[in-house]
Amino acid sequence: MKYLKLLLLPWMAAVVAASFLWPEPAKGFLGESSRIVFFHVPCAWTAALAFLVAAGYSVGWLVARNPRFDEVAETAVRLGLLFAVLTLLTGSLFAKIMWGSYWNWDPRESSYLLLVFLYSAYLFLRAAVDDRERRARIGSAYAVFAAVLMPFLVFVAPRVTASLHPQTVINPQGKILMDAPTKTVFFAALAGFTGLFFWMLEIESRLARLTRERRQTG
Amino acid sequence: MTGPRARLGFFSRAWAVCAKDAAQELRRRVAIASIFFFAATALALVSYAVGPFGLPPEARSSLDASLLWIILFFSAATGLPRAFVREEETGTGLGLRKVASGVVVLAGKGLFNFLLFLAIAALSVPAFAVLLEWRVASPVALAAVVLLGGWGLSIVSTFLSALVARAGQRNVLFLVVSFPLLVPLLLPAIAATIQASEGAVAQTPLRVLAAYDGAATCAAYLLAAVVWED
Repeated sequence: MKYLKLLLLPWMAAVVAASFLWPEPAKGFLGESSRIVFFHVPCAWTAALAFLVAAGYSVGWLVARNPRFDEVAETAVRLGLLFAVLTLLTGSLFAKIMWGSYWNWDPRESSYLLLVFLYSAYLFLRAAVDDRERRARIGSAYAVFAAVLMPFLVFVAPRVTASLHPQTVINPQGKILMDAPTKTVFFAALAGFTGLFFWMLEIESRLARLTRERRQTG
Repeated sequence: MTGPRARLGFFSRAWAVCAKDAAQELRRRVAIASIFFFAATALALVSYAVGPFGLPPEARSSLDASLLWIILFFSAATGLPRAFVREEETGTGLGLRKVASGVVVLAGKGLFNFLLFLAIAALSVPAFAVLLEWRVASPVALAAVVLLGGWGLSIVSTFLSALVARAGQRNVLFLVVSFPLLVPLLLPAIAATIQASEGAVAQTPLRVLAAYDGAATCAAYLLAAVVWED
């Protein structure tokens, strides 16, 4: 993880610089607005990944009943909430430029607002239970149940209804509609944000473990 | 124990849980009456505010479908969460844990909630059609939407009821945890209802509903024992 941390700084610096300097703005978009794809889509991907990580660790807790797994799951949800909010913010900026308003209840826009509600619901549910073991059990069950239904929220529902959102990377043609420079910077951003998530997850969950151990030793 | 006798045992036990819940609710009638009264109030309010001629013709089918599912969802939300909360309030949860497994209890209460939803829909949908002059060109398609949407709503509500039953702020918490999970069900249900009212069978939304119901049922089945633990 130390090497990931050392690699992340130059990697993300290069991604940010390249996103503004290298690829040309995409056709069909106003001005430089297409460059937001290098930040908006990785944030969205990371938000969804975070929930899957939380669900995976929740399954781990249900099997092994190791408190460490529950801590990682909760941390993953908190970080997922952060990246989902960033997705909404970057998406709103794009919506303002392209469609003239920050928010217009577009199905794809709204699906990430509901993802924020989903993350928040997990944290509310945990906060409403006092007993630690029961809190972990209920939180894990909700995370796994929600992870099964989340694809309907994020991938299916926005495709059933008409949307203004530009065609996504996962599209019916099965092709990535980007030129080579854009594709390079895009996938570099995707890798960078993923690394950033796992680095933050490691730090936050380590802090949670130290807090628990300190509480146990008094 | 395996084979037909074990399967019969599971269904008969689940049916016994369903029948117990039904007997309990019908004995007191307050909760059931309040659910139907809520549906009637919501219908009356919408009908009074909008009326059969208050909506622009080009938007009628989508607005009528949306209003119908809002009424059905919130009417169900007043009653479906009670499935497990009732056991904790009456102190019968521990006794039920001794005699029935999580899967049996979830199946029985899910079935009761589904039947309750169908009862709400059986009264609300015709009343809605009469009060708002809502014409449905394909009643069969509408019935399919109500059945699929109702099952998904019931199984998710029953499972989440088990999760929040022993938490604080149960009523508020249920709405908070259920809303984001039920939106992917309600959106295709509304889309399919629009097409049913126009005479088409909405294949894509119906397939989405069926897939959602299957996924929710499997997930609830696998996690039933976890949420039913003491």
